[in-house]
Amino acid sequence: MSEYLRKILYLISFTAVGVTISSAQDRPSISPYFQLQYFKNTKDQAYLQTTLTYSLNRIELPLPGMVISFYTGEKRDLPLGTVMTDEDGIAKLPLDGKVRLPFGADGQWTFNSVFDGNDTIDQVAADISVVNMDLEITLSKVDSIKKIELKASSQINGKKVPVIGEVVIIYVTRMFSLLPVGEITFDDNGTGTIDFPSDLPGDENGNITILAKIEENPTYGNIEKRVTERWGLPTSYTVPETHRALWTKTPPMWMIITLSILLSGVWGHYIFAIISLILIRTDAKRKKVNDEYKIKV
Amino acid sequence: MKGRNNSDKSSRRKFLRKLGTGIGVVSLTGVPGASVIAGSKTESGEKIKLLSPEGRLVEVDRENIRPARETTDYIKEEARKGLHGRKFVMVIDLAKCRNARKCVEACQEGHMLPKDHEWIKLYLLQDDRNTAPYWLPRPCFHCDKPMCVSVCPVGATYKRDDGIVLVDNQRCIGCKFCMTGCPYSARVFNWKDPEVNLPPGQAYDPETNIPPVEGTVGKCVFCADKLRRRELPRCVTACPMGVIYFGDLLEDSITNGEETVRFSKIMDERAGYRYREELGTLPSVYYLPPFQRLFPFERGLEDVDEETRLRYRDAGPR
Amino acid sequence: MQADRKLLYDLTPELTRTSTRWYITFFIFFAFFAFGIYALILQIDKGHIVTGMRDNVVWGFYIVNFIFFMGLSYSGALISGVLHLFHTAWRKPVIRLAELITVISLVIGPFFIFFCIGRLDRLYFLFIYPRIQSPITWDVIAISTDLVGCFIYLYLSFVEDFAILRDFDELNVAPWKKKLYRILSLGYSGTPRQRKLLSNARTIMSAMIIAIAIIVYSVLAWIFGVTLQPGWHSTIFGPYFVIAAVFSGTGLLIILMWIFRKIYHLEEYITKRHFVNVGVLLTIIAAFYGYFTFSDYLTKWYGSIKMDSILIDKLFNQYYSLFIFANYIGILLPGIIIAIPKFRTIPNITIAAIIALLALWVNRYIIVIPTLETPFLPVQDPRPDWIKYTPTWVEWALTMAGVSIFAMLFMLVSKIAPVISISEMQGKDQSEIMK
Repeated sequence: MSEYLRKILYLISFTAVGVTISSAQDRPSISPYFQLQYFKNTKDQAYLQTTLTYSLNRIELPLPGMVISFYTGEKRDLPLGTVMTDEDGIAKLPLDGKVRLPFGADGQWTFNSVFDGNDTIDQVAADISVVNMDLEITLSKVDSIKKIELKASSQINGKKVPVIGEVVIIYVTRMFSLLPVGEITFDDNGTGTIDFPSDLPGDENGNITILAKIEENPTYGNIEKRVTERWGLPTSYTVPETHRALWTKTPPMWMIITLSILLSGVWGHYIFAIISLILIRTDAKRKKVNDEYKIKV
Repeated sequence: MKGRNNSDKSSRRKFLRKLGTGIGVVSLTGVPGASVIAGSKTESGEKIKLLSPEGRLVEVDRENIRPARETTDYIKEEARKGLHGRKFVMVIDLAKCRNARKCVEACQEGHMLPKDHEWIKLYLLQDDRNTAPYWLPRPCFHCDKPMCVSVCPVGATYKRDDGIVLVDNQRCIGCKFCMTGCPYSARVFNWKDPEVNLPPGQAYDPETNIPPVEGTVGKCVFCADKLRRRELPRCVTACPMGVIYFGDLLEDSITNGEETVRFSKIMDERAGYRYREELGTLPSVYYLPPFQRLFPFERGLEDVDEETRLRYRDAGPR
Repeated sequence: MQADRKLLYDLTPELTRTSTRWYITFFIFFAFFAFGIYALILQIDKGHIVTGMRDNVVWGFYIVNFIFFMGLSYSGALISGVLHLFHTAWRKPVIRLAELITVISLVIGPFFIFFCIGRLDRLYFLFIYPRIQSPITWDVIAISTDLVGCFIYLYLSFVEDFAILRDFDELNVAPWKKKLYRILSLGYSGTPRQRKLLSNARTIMSAMIIAIAIIVYSVLAWIFGVTLQPGWHSTIFGPYFVIAAVFSGTGLLIILMWIFRKIYHLEEYITKRHFVNVGVLLTIIAAFYGYFTFSDYLTKWYGSIKMDSILIDKLFNQYYSLFIFANYIGILLPGIIIAIPKFRTIPNITIAAIIALLALWVNRYIIVIPTLETPFLPVQDPRPDWIKYTPTWVEWALTMAGVSIFAMLFMLVSKIAPVISISEMQGKDQSEIMK
């Protein structure tokens, strides 16, 4: 399936399309954007996340402090809880197993989130359905070739079924973003393998965090697996010529030596001249005493 | 992050970003000048809400709070050290630039610069009559052999271990030697009172160079304050074409906010180079030649105002 | 100490009486100076925006004046230093003038750096946070060392004169001046031991100030030379600046010789011979200076690295008249005037010196400004004043203030001690000196 088609599908089925229920009064109100997403992190903890924003002068602004209600079930009638949006307009609801999630006909879960609106903000709702995917990541080293193997399966009607044809991107974590290092498409067994590049820098010890990520998949939502391994090249950064250079705090040795020689040479002569002047003065004093002595005698 | 009104928050956050390195969180809710000691043993059970370096509200036990050294001296000391084990690098793709000037605007807004101060400047260059003209965004190059730092008589401008060259405008005496030393005209001088309205008591931070001071020098700081929060520089995120890539050279990875690529790979594939390599200043900013450009260079003269167009009236082959 | 009565009668009258003309002249200079102070206050209050300097041309008139005044200080190093070492007899009547030029211009020069500094209130940072990698720090050290050295040297040459003035009973001056002479003469009475001490100290210091002067001006040149800027990044700059400095110092010496000869009636002591001798010196230096100038521009033009050729192109177009005046007329004309014996009259030599001095100032200007207007990345700015440097009245006012304070200090010093050294003149074969 092409990337483009996937995106279209995602837009239609997965992302929350804000359903605006217009209020009775004819006064200006905010019609917010509302998005519901399903996440499953590396510890296999799943959660739902909504983002509530609105557009002001073409700038997207968050709506913090709003109460979002989450539901599940075929009829979206089983309440999961309510969460208040944070300062980024995001509300997260962990699916920690307190509520048994009912499966749909195709083994999917259905979720629904609602923001009830208030005097100025319109009511919005969004829903998604997700099939639970179990993702496994295995790192192995064969003849110094580093291999990443992924295995994915889902539970449909109590049966374990391999995930076929889905694409997973492999990343490594970097300071500002994730660096993609490869792509795995699951084969008929729900597995896939790639070689990991041998020349990627890790941290000081060569540790590198590898990430397998399925993003915004129309069927499975967002799933990630991360694992840290000493597969990177150890980096050590020593600032070249840290201690003595033109542009550091401490100057190069030759500068100090040259300056000292020049200054001591010159000021030495100055001192000689000043001492001469002092001697002239003392000589004058001695002469004066002598003269007075002569007069006395 | 996109489009959020950041102006008051960024100034506040400046105080707060030191949690990652251990100390220095200032309260947002009535505990002015407090900080957190990580891993303190005793707890009182009484929680206090504080703003974390990431700008989130966190709860901290009262016992773990002690007054922060959030003074200018402390901030300046941290700003001289830089981020440990990093070497920042910027890559500018000349094939994508069309003089949209969003980088200039974001930079000026983020650093409270007056309209006539441009830390990142856009040049229209043509090396010769027979070669093609191109747009060249020029931030500070944060050279590894920085002429400006070498010639500074008082150590007001300095190079940090992470490669960033900053100016301490409370140390700068305004001799302008760095401005003649820099072969890239990257520095600007506060010829008059900058007239910036700041909340009273705002501490000075060399990582933003806010507040600016009359009679001192300013320049691009690679948004050192944002890097501390693991955020990309303002010009990088503001660019609508994704022209500017930024990253850590040691991680061999750069990103323009959209795509992330390996630095070595893009240098190899796109024949990256540095501006006037022969000068030997070893810049941290690399350029990708304007090969198969996305826009004809004339596009850069179309969407700009008259005054901006005026500055390129004499541009041409040199 | 007793001295030749005739010398004392001839040289001391200016110490005892002050003419109305002196007061008027002094007042005019003071007015210029005061106006400069006003301009400075305005600049400190409003910021450097009141000058013509902008982000590209960050150094303007002030730096030009700084190099210029520092260069003038070379007259002392040359005339009194070099000629002292070689025991040239004819130097004696002009030695005091040369030393005064040295010290006074050394005092004034650094002030122009201060005018150029954005935050004068932080000037002391230069001493509490020094970085010896910076040529400015070298300059701070070198100039202060030079200043101290030149003061010592000047004082050494004054000791005998103060002793003579102290012991000259007929000198009718204010009691405070008498007291000053008594204190400053250090009880010098010309005993063999004192003579020897003074003579030794003077010989050593004369060698020292030559060395220091060369270092100071080289360091000054290196402020430009060490940068990467086109036109500045040149190995020849050190010696080039030194020779240019000697050129200007000698030129100013001739001008001052003419002024004091006229006003203080020293025709008997400063004769045509002195003008011709110093003039010939000026010509020789002009030859060297011209050679360096030619050498510098020739290599830049012939090798024609792009930035150098852009710069030279600018010099021969935008700066054409200034360039011709500074580097052709200013060097050749003084040489021609002095080299041809028929032209060698006192007024002609003085005119040649004036031309040389002005041309040298312009030469400094076209070294500093065009380079700053030609950065590696072209200046692309909508504002004309950002592209082309034009000095404002503030910079003119402060330049005039510098010239005025130079004149004022000279006028004041000439009232405390004679501008011709009495001690140097006496006991010598007069015909040898005055010939």
